[in-house]
Amino acid sequence: MTDTEPRPDSRSEPTETDGGVADETSVRLPTRRGDGSALQQIATVTRLEYALSIRNRWAFALTGLFASLAVLVVALGGQGGVVRTDAVVVSLVELSALLLPLVALVYGYDAIVGNDESGWLGMLFALPVPRSRVVVGTYVGRLAVFSGAVVAGFGVGGLLLASGGRLTPAYLGLVGAAVLGGAAFLALSLLISTVAAEKTHALGGTLLVWVWLALVHDLVSVGLIAADVVDSDWLAVFVLANPVTVFRVLALQSVPTVTGGMADVLVGSGLTTPVLVGALVAWTVGPMWLSSRLVARRSV
Amino acid sequence: MNAIQTTDLTKRYGDVVALDGVSLSVEAGTTFGLLGTNGAGKSTLFRILVGHLAPDSGTVTVGGRDVTEAGHELREAVGYVPEDAGFPPSLTGREVLTYQARIRGVPKAERAERVAAALGTVGLDEAAERRVGGYSNGMNRRLALASALLARPKLLLLDEPTAGLDPLGVAEFHRILERLREEANLTVVVTTHVLAEVEALCDDVAVLHQGNLRFDGAVDDLREMGDGENLEAAFRSLIADAEGREPRVAPAVER
Repeated sequence: MTDTEPRPDSRSEPTETDGGVADETSVRLPTRRGDGSALQQIATVTRLEYALSIRNRWAFALTGLFASLAVLVVALGGQGGVVRTDAVVVSLVELSALLLPLVALVYGYDAIVGNDESGWLGMLFALPVPRSRVVVGTYVGRLAVFSGAVVAGFGVGGLLLASGGRLTPAYLGLVGAAVLGGAAFLALSLLISTVAAEKTHALGGTLLVWVWLALVHDLVSVGLIAADVVDSDWLAVFVLANPVTVFRVLALQSVPTVTGGMADVLVGSGLTTPVLVGALVAWTVGPMWLSSRLVARRSV
Repeated sequence: MNAIQTTDLTKRYGDVVALDGVSLSVEAGTTFGLLGTNGAGKSTLFRILVGHLAPDSGTVTVGGRDVTEAGHELREAVGYVPEDAGFPPSLTGREVLTYQARIRGVPKAERAERVAAALGTVGLDEAAERRVGGYSNGMNRRLALASALLARPKLLLLDEPTAGLDPLGVAEFHRILERLREEANLTVVVTTHVLAEVEALCDDVAVLHQGNLRFDGAVDDLREMGDGENLEAAFRSLIADAEGREPRVAPAVER
């Protein structure tokens, strides 16, 4: 049957979208967008991701991990009953520089590719929602869980310090830097999850990124400067090129005295707080922008 | 009136031609089967129909509108169930549909009613508060169908809807589709490689093989091409023709 031959049982009612012939079975696409606004769609995916992380107990696990870390460091930071807050902050920053990116990367690596393998991404993409909104909503939902866990977990350590009257701006600065750093690490993991074909590839990719960012990059950077391969002016560039280093420098900036080692070298980069905050924002927005573009190419 | 019209549709993946100049039409109000072996190009055609893939050449219209221009709005009016549909196991069936209704922009006042109606249609109302992780394969497929029905679509695209289901599950799924078709005047397009499914469900059928359209016509016509008893003889003959011998029928039969 052709376009011009309606079915015998049809009830014709000409419209613009069907070429002038319509019946009650006609398939008509909307001529305007439905009620699903961008904000509502992103907020719904965000709520969904948040709810899933609560039910999967990720939120409790992350909060417990950060709280344990903070309590342990605060407890060990006390000497003869006196807690040295600066030492606590420096220790916590150094531990966080290893753990925070690792946890964020592991928490986020399956956000897209994992949902793809389970068939859920295909169901979401079958809905009238642009893929970029699914990516942004997924990210914001996981970021809310991660940030909440950082604030609550480190908050327990903060309460311990406050109970002894030793809570300082440096500790609060650490919590702020951890939230900003976590946002950047999570965005990186989402980017890896978006481009990975399989979960195992994404996990391998996140671990490689972690090894480079948390273990190798700073050693190579400082080594190049120490060996006079590059000028010491390059230090600022090396710092900005690694979100983990940016996090370390930002968190240590509010500590009056940093007790030597690599941390001293990095803090000596001369980067201001606004520049460091801007760098972490750029490390968040850049990967997110890339993810929301690249997800369109993903085969589901 | 055609719900779907493709004209000279071609899609390549590197050197592999997934669809080679496919032209077919799906009449509104019918159940249409896309039949073919694995790798025939059925899923590629579906992914183009819902806007997940762009064709290399040719045109596709759904409801008279070019799908490449419609974008994601296309899926506001079309219910699509992908082959490997899955759900977060920790959500209940009702929660899955409620989230999807919100994303679809279903007004809050209608949401609960529409979710309940979709669950009832597929027979999942009693399991609505159970977590999806405990659903059987058949229940998962029915939940996927319910999610497509939230759109109150006039066109349903079902990619291998009964793959992996036991005979009772298949029969239940067919019964739901038959009822939907009668009550909601749906156009249903089903991809399958099960000949019995085409016989049970479809008015018309297209046979794809290695990206080429080997047949496009009524199921009864395809049956008559073989031994007149069932579709197997005709299907085998079309595939054999495609693999060396000249086709016994024109690649696309005018109806």
